[in-house]
Amino acid sequence: MAKTADLLPGTLDLLILKAVSLKPLHGYGVLLRIQQISGNALEIPQGSLYPALYRLEHQGLITAEWGESDNKRKAKYYTVTTAGRRRLREETEGWRRLATAMAAALDATPDEV
Amino acid sequence: MLTRLRSLGATLFRRDRFESAMRDEMQFHLDAYADDLVAAGVPRQEADRRARVEFGGTERVKEECRQARGLRIVDELRQDVRYGWRSMSKAPAFTTAAVLSIALGIGANTAIFTLMDAVLLRSMPIRDPGELYFIGHDPGANASMSANYPMFERYRDAGIFGGVTVYDTRGQGFRVATEDGADTVDGQFVSGNYHAVLGVPIVLGRGFTSEQDRAASPDLVAVISDHYWARRFGRSPDVLGKTVTIRERKFTIVGVSAAAFYSLDPGVRADITLPISVRALDDKEFLDNHTGFISLRIVGRLRKGMRETQALAATDTVFHQYMSEPEQRWVYEGASKSFRAAALIPAARGTGDLRRQYTTPLNVLMGMVALVLLIGCANVANLLLARAAARSKEVAVRLGVGAGRARLVRQFLTESLLVALAGGALGLVLAFASARAIVSLFNVGPISVLLDVNPNATVLTFTTLVSVATGIAFGLVPALRATRIELSPALKENGGADAHGGRWTTGKTLVAGQLAICVVVIAVAGLLVRTLQNLKTLDAGFRKDHVLLYDVDTTAVGFSTERRPAFWAELVERVRARPGVVSASLSRRTPIDFSMEFRRIEVPGFQSKEGITGVSTNVVTPEYFATFGIGLLRGRGFTAQDHAQAPKVALVSAAMARFFYGDDDPIGRSFILGGGRLRDTWTIVGVIEDVRQERLRTSEPTRMVYTPLAQGTRGLDPRSDTLARLTVEIRTAGDSDQLTALATSARGDARALNKDAVVSYVRTMNEQIDAALIKENVLATLSTAFGALALILSAVGLYGVMAYGVARRTREIGIRLALGAARSTVLWQTLRDTFSVAATGIMTGIGGALLLAESVKVLLFGLEPRDPLTLVGSASILLVTTLLAGYLPARKAAAVDPMQALRTE
Repeated sequence: MAKTADLLPGTLDLLILKAVSLKPLHGYGVLLRIQQISGNALEIPQGSLYPALYRLEHQGLITAEWGESDNKRKAKYYTVTTAGRRRLREETEGWRRLATAMAAALDATPDEV
Repeated sequence: MLTRLRSLGATLFRRDRFESAMRDEMQFHLDAYADDLVAAGVPRQEADRRARVEFGGTERVKEECRQARGLRIVDELRQDVRYGWRSMSKAPAFTTAAVLSIALGIGANTAIFTLMDAVLLRSMPIRDPGELYFIGHDPGANASMSANYPMFERYRDAGIFGGVTVYDTRGQGFRVATEDGADTVDGQFVSGNYHAVLGVPIVLGRGFTSEQDRAASPDLVAVISDHYWARRFGRSPDVLGKTVTIRERKFTIVGVSAAAFYSLDPGVRADITLPISVRALDDKEFLDNHTGFISLRIVGRLRKGMRETQALAATDTVFHQYMSEPEQRWVYEGASKSFRAAALIPAARGTGDLRRQYTTPLNVLMGMVALVLLIGCANVANLLLARAAARSKEVAVRLGVGAGRARLVRQFLTESLLVALAGGALGLVLAFASARAIVSLFNVGPISVLLDVNPNATVLTFTTLVSVATGIAFGLVPALRATRIELSPALKENGGADAHGGRWTTGKTLVAGQLAICVVVIAVAGLLVRTLQNLKTLDAGFRKDHVLLYDVDTTAVGFSTERRPAFWAELVERVRARPGVVSASLSRRTPIDFSMEFRRIEVPGFQSKEGITGVSTNVVTPEYFATFGIGLLRGRGFTAQDHAQAPKVALVSAAMARFFYGDDDPIGRSFILGGGRLRDTWTIVGVIEDVRQERLRTSEPTRMVYTPLAQGTRGLDPRSDTLARLTVEIRTAGDSDQLTALATSARGDARALNKDAVVSYVRTMNEQIDAALIKENVLATLSTAFGALALILSAVGLYGVMAYGVARRTREIGIRLALGAARSTVLWQTLRDTFSVAATGIMTGIGGALLLAESVKVLLFGLEPRDPLTLVGSASILLVTTLLAGYLPARKAAAVDPMQALRTE
């Protein structure tokens, strides 16, 4: 198993938004999708996934609808809303800026100072 | 925010579905994960177990999900309410005392607020009432709405307003013919556009539609009120097209106005509305009367988007134009300060008569009930403090096991809110049960004040807000105190922390505060009660006892004018022959009967700084002065020789003589009464004592001129002959049975002489005075009730705190008695403790009363706001009550059995 990283605070919401923005997913699917798109580098504690989903739904960033899963079972599918898409864009940018800045800062060598 | 509320709402209202969906969703997750594990080769059982373990506790996850939805607060609140309810029902005595204290306070507040709402606050139930203005004259305090019909036409034709209408409600008692005689119904005359301009709500049929008030033969139509519809026609839908007969004319009913609409005059309900054009049938000059200004009211509706100031400027121009015309000039250029400019008076809440009269009284009463509520709150706060002490162990345990303090404070506040809301609900019931009784206090005189005091949204909102505020006010301090506990001593000891008797506790401070407030309430009540007494016992210059009065009207169509003089003479003779009658007379007016009759007077050789001067006039038979016991000071009274053909003679009051003749002898001097066609010269033959004619509260007596009925006078109103309507006044020897017998025979006496004579308003002189003292009586009665309420609540509060103190000190008292203290010493010490609390409270209260009494000054008569007698009286009442309330606990303290006391605990 690849080495997994702990989630930084606040990143779970962003990852969920990203995951459901690609395709409507049920809770378990979100979990699998995040593992997949992060190359199994990120491990989501299963218990904290649902409170996060409920929170996002409460804030109107995602909506839920009951549908049928691949194995013909009833499952609750989450879709990103317009507001959710906007939030995802904003947070992605913020995250990129931070990541670039952190990378630049950590790559600094004595010559550059 | 909105999204979240909606989300919370959806979750709350479909809680079951929310819970089952959550369960299903999580089960799906576990199954799907387990299936994947099975697919990867893990045995079924092991896969299920791993899925569950990795997921973590489903209950914890569910709770977090609920929290994410904002459900936690709701759940906790529900829990608090349930817990509060349980602990309240476990302490029924506490709960009853607390709820009753609050219910009495909130009940009083709601009752007064209901009155305020009905008299002062409520908008008329008509279309956009904010756009309506009375078009009167003279701004500010001098504002008046008197007008005449031509004036209305000018405003209407000027086109300033979106619509202008006119109406007259004053004293329109229509006698409606019914199968069993006549029924007097309050009504009004209105212009044909009245219903349309005001947007009066109509429940059946239509309002008036004719724009033409000057039609030669007016439509004989009527609109009736919902109330009259129910009373007379049982709400039958085929009332439209039926007729009502008023003065031999049949009016066809074309519509019914909604129950909520009474009239534009608060307190007056127009049950029958007739077109104003009908008035011109009886009084040809009515629509063209330029010279007088009468109780017609002009109402205009602002055009959309027009500002009040713009409308006023344009209206003022029309006003000045009209007033400077020859016929109106005398008013316009007269010396008085009225008729100077047009004024727009907001009509949204109707005319201001009742409002002007009752604003201060209602504010004072509202202040009093607010104080009563404070006393009630202090009671509950005290109860809660005592209970908090009893519950300190429970609190310590809960804090000990990790409950947050904020959580506990919330729990305590929930309980006090529950008490407050229960009290509020009960108070609401009390308020509406008493509202009718309060309104009946207003209905003493001939004119009834009809107030709608049924529950409405405004009042319910008020009561809810007051209840919530009350719950927080009396609950917060005890809640904070109760949760500020040092854990170890409370857990170790048996709760008997402050065992020192004489100590000044929070409870005692609250009681002292209650007593202080109580002194203020009782002092104000005392001032108002004594004002009423002063007015009732005032020597107004005429006899009030053993005098019976009634009005007789001879204007019925069947009653010919020629028969009137003989009718009156025979009526007086007949009455005089009744047993016990000392004196009987007729007059146009009687003292303090709401009537006004001021006429212009010219006294040769007299020059006034005020310009045109007036006197108050009355037309009487010679016995009038004997009946009312008004003494002759100089000259002679009227006699039978002062008949129609004799020289015209007059009697004047002392104040009139002094004002116009100074120290000269007025006997034999002449003056001219009235103006224009009504001018007449009269010669003074005597001077009589001053009486208070129009008002009891007056600084200087009215200047009166009396003329004999036999010599007639034409009244101010050319339509009414002097002999049309008169009051019969009878003085009896002093037996109250005779008064009652006379009152019952009154109608028969008049009817026996002429079946068309109508007798109304049979009353004693004292009842007539009461009708003039409605405001004072309402104030005195209600403030006494509130004073009593304050006293009871304070006494209960004091008793509670003292009894609680004794109960907590039982052990200490037991020890003292065991060590040889005398029981009387214990009794006196406890009483002294009560006395020190009472004295502190009462002294503070006297200070407060001295400060606040000034605000009721305008309501008082015959005494100063800082009347020492009232203050000392209030303080004494309170002192006696508190000592009585304190005696019971003191006796209980003295009766403690030492053995028993030491054994318990």
